[in-house]
Amino acid sequence: MRAEALKGHLDPLILAVLEPAPLHGYAIIEQLKQRSGGSLSLPEGTVYPALHRLEAGGFLSSAWSDGNRRRRVYRLTRAGRRELGARRGEWQSFAAAIEAVLA
Amino acid sequence: MSFCEWLARELGRVGIAGSTRRRIVAEIEDHLACDPEAQLGEPAALARQFADELGTVRARRAGFAAFAALAIAGLLYGAAFLVGVQGFARHRSSLPALALIGGVLAIVGAQVAFVAGALAGLRAFRRRRSLVVPRAEAVILGRRATVGLVSGLAAMAGLGLLAYRNGMPTSENTFVVVAASAGAVALLIAVPIMVSALRLRPVGDGEPGDVFDDLGALVPPALRGRPWRFALAVAVVLAVVIAVAGIVQQDPYDGAARGIADALACLGGFALLGRYLGLRRS
Repeated sequence: MRAEALKGHLDPLILAVLEPAPLHGYAIIEQLKQRSGGSLSLPEGTVYPALHRLEAGGFLSSAWSDGNRRRRVYRLTRAGRRELGARRGEWQSFAAAIEAVLA
Repeated sequence: MSFCEWLARELGRVGIAGSTRRRIVAEIEDHLACDPEAQLGEPAALARQFADELGTVRARRAGFAAFAALAIAGLLYGAAFLVGVQGFARHRSSLPALALIGGVLAIVGAQVAFVAGALAGLRAFRRRRSLVVPRAEAVILGRRATVGLVSGLAAMAGLGLLAYRNGMPTSENTFVVVAASAGAVALLIAVPIMVSALRLRPVGDGEPGDVFDDLGALVPPALRGRPWRFALAVAVVLAVVIAVAGIVQQDPYDGAARGIADALACLGGFALLGRYLGLRRS
């Protein structure tokens, strides 16, 4: 899928990937690839500004991990979970409408 | 020069410095340690994207923070003015020049703060879902927040000066000073948010927008795209409302005089600050 087509959908994708457990930047990108079966191959650099923006917006929180390597680990906040729920609802309505026309 | 060194330099160029820059570079270093072949794009483009996205969040937050702080300060200002005006009318100041300065600051500052703060909040609300706004628009948001907060602080200082006079009952005096101080504290809390928005701005090109972008469909079609005609209409409505209030208070001449004065002040403010605050484009 082209990166251009993903614009506007990156935020809910990141929120969804972080829903089960906190992850660091590289793992988030890997999860996006894995969960999409390799279809979502976006420029990796674009994820980091989005992570910072989502954190500034209160949807994510982050902290340095204490493991062998110093890593910034992101987790969903309560506001992030609410936002994810809202974006899922929006997407389902949108997808259903497009599907109804294309089918 | 390594990718991360290059990125650090580019981040500095777009205004990202200090702990934010160190954190971004550390995260990218970690990413490259996991995958040395990672496609992270050009450092300059990545730095611009950080500036665009973080600058937009900060500009919007400054608009909301200024609006919220001014709303709290406005309530305190109203209460202080209602309580204090009785004492101000009864007791002449022993320092008339100080009282005059205080009066001008309190009245003009409050009106400018109200307009700038409302516009800051309105534009921030209009762009609440935008991932990125142009630099020019972020500049306008920053100016509105700054003018709103500075004018609000001036209004609070003016109230303090008005209260500083001999012969005024202690309870009224104290209330005005306490309310003005509390209002000033509310405004000062928003200052760091505003400063952070001024330090980091988006870098993208684009139009700053004008009052019609703020008000959208609220503006009658006949006035859209005509800022001076719109300002004149607002001034006339303002004059009529104040004149009618004068009639209701059984002082129609005073009401009419104040209405005309406020309408002229409105037009003067539009001429002086309209372009700076992004109400008109030229």
